[in-house]
Amino acid sequence: MAMPMRRTLLTLHRATQSNLKNAEASLDVLHPIPLLLPVRTKKRYFIPPAVGLKGKSEENPEAKARAAGIVFRQQYLERPINIACTAGIFDPYIPPEGDARLSTLSKEGLKQRTEQIRQSAASQLAIRKIKEHDSEFKTKDFAERAQEIFIEAHNALTQFNKEKLHSLVTERCYPEMTRGNRYKTIRWRFVESLEPPRVVHARCPDMVTKGNLYGQVTVRMHSKQTLAIYDRFGRLMLGSEEHSKDVLEYLVIERHLINPYGRWRLHGKIVPSWAPAKDPIIKTVIIPGPELKPGQEFDALNYEVPKPVAVQWYK
Amino acid sequence: MATAMTGRGFIGSIYGLLQTRLPVLGGGPLQLSCLHTSSLLESKSWERRNLKVYPPQLPDEPRRPAEIHHSRRQIKYSKDKLWYLAKMIRGMSVDEAIAQLEFNDKKGAKIMKEVLLEAQEMAVKNHNVEYKSNLYVAESYSGKGKYLKRIRYHGRGMFGIMDKVYCHYFVKLVEGSPPRKEERTSLDQAKEYIQSLKSRTIIHSL
Repeated sequence: MAMPMRRTLLTLHRATQSNLKNAEASLDVLHPIPLLLPVRTKKRYFIPPAVGLKGKSEENPEAKARAAGIVFRQQYLERPINIACTAGIFDPYIPPEGDARLSTLSKEGLKQRTEQIRQSAASQLAIRKIKEHDSEFKTKDFAERAQEIFIEAHNALTQFNKEKLHSLVTERCYPEMTRGNRYKTIRWRFVESLEPPRVVHARCPDMVTKGNLYGQVTVRMHSKQTLAIYDRFGRLMLGSEEHSKDVLEYLVIERHLINPYGRWRLHGKIVPSWAPAKDPIIKTVIIPGPELKPGQEFDALNYEVPKPVAVQWYK
Repeated sequence: MATAMTGRGFIGSIYGLLQTRLPVLGGGPLQLSCLHTSSLLESKSWERRNLKVYPPQLPDEPRRPAEIHHSRRQIKYSKDKLWYLAKMIRGMSVDEAIAQLEFNDKKGAKIMKEVLLEAQEMAVKNHNVEYKSNLYVAESYSGKGKYLKRIRYHGRGMFGIMDKVYCHYFVKLVEGSPPRKEERTSLDQAKEYIQSLKSRTIIHSL
């Protein structure tokens, strides 16, 4: 860049020199004219980064290190994970149909009420195993404790107290409770309990290795609750704060029995297949229509909206 | 090459290279969490406006309209050229804006249309908006992104710094019908002018 300028200047200079020599041939040359005049070159004030990065790729520094004799210790890319809860509900309790729908004064109602946990042998075995590890386990007290855990967990959810919620609810249940709720306001109130809670089912599955025991106990609760969910802008999405509803729930409480610091925490809920449909949300939702081939028209009059199959599922 | 490998410097460079390749070695779980965050999108204020939660409204208050903020960063387009399109759709309803952008010939129109469709879907899914057509464009503008610099060669050894332009596009959708623009006729403006002349107060006069 500077080179072509200098060359042209040199030629100019020589041309002028020769002219001068001719003009001053008669006069005495007192002082010699210097060959190179200092010329102000264009300084590059800004060099874009892409220019200097050519040829920086190093060939194989690891091979060179080995050749030089440097030995690196083997790196274990491991991260210990503590599994404190199971992934689901093992051998779930199937609630009998028509539970809590009959009045307690009729014969069938009395039969339902007096159904005791002693009928199932597997649950008895499981309870015996739990009592081996946790000496203070009593079926009668445990139901009350389970209800307390449930109420505290839901109160922590309304305040969104993460630490307290993690101590009351297992890791499997936590995302189910909190997904999508972070930017919503939930107002929940436990009004009263209609029937005393009862332990209906118990199981002791072991994960991965044989001795790694987890205890899962199902508790049946019939209670009155109010629920109101507000969206991000404070508008009501679901439920109402004044009207309370009777709720029959089957909670699954779990504890890692082998861990001496394990605690009984809410693991999930069982929703029976005969459960009544929940209240719809306040806004209208578009259901995606059937896939049409090109040229096919959508017949709105004869189209039936597909209804979901009634299956027991675990929340 | 050989001169670059001098004892400690060489080992240091090797260690540095390996460190950058395996971020697990340094800080453990803290460093792993920053593997996938992009440096451009960490807590930008426009996206953070979507995280604001209002307290529940009382039943007698008027229903608060939902506001959805959406943006796209580092679009390979000029911010001045995008401004024309952004100015065009200000105040339009979402359907009208999408229709206008679909049949516009500019490059930015296609990108803006994608952004509007994304914002509409976000509104229905995450922000509890009931009808996807019940939205209008409240704010829409373009901003300058981070430019890449290159050399543009001129004659006579001269050069210029060429900017590879990038821009951001921001849009805010609000629930409801678009607000009506008040049309002021020239007669109204003339009347206001004369009124302002008449209502002058002259101080220190007789």
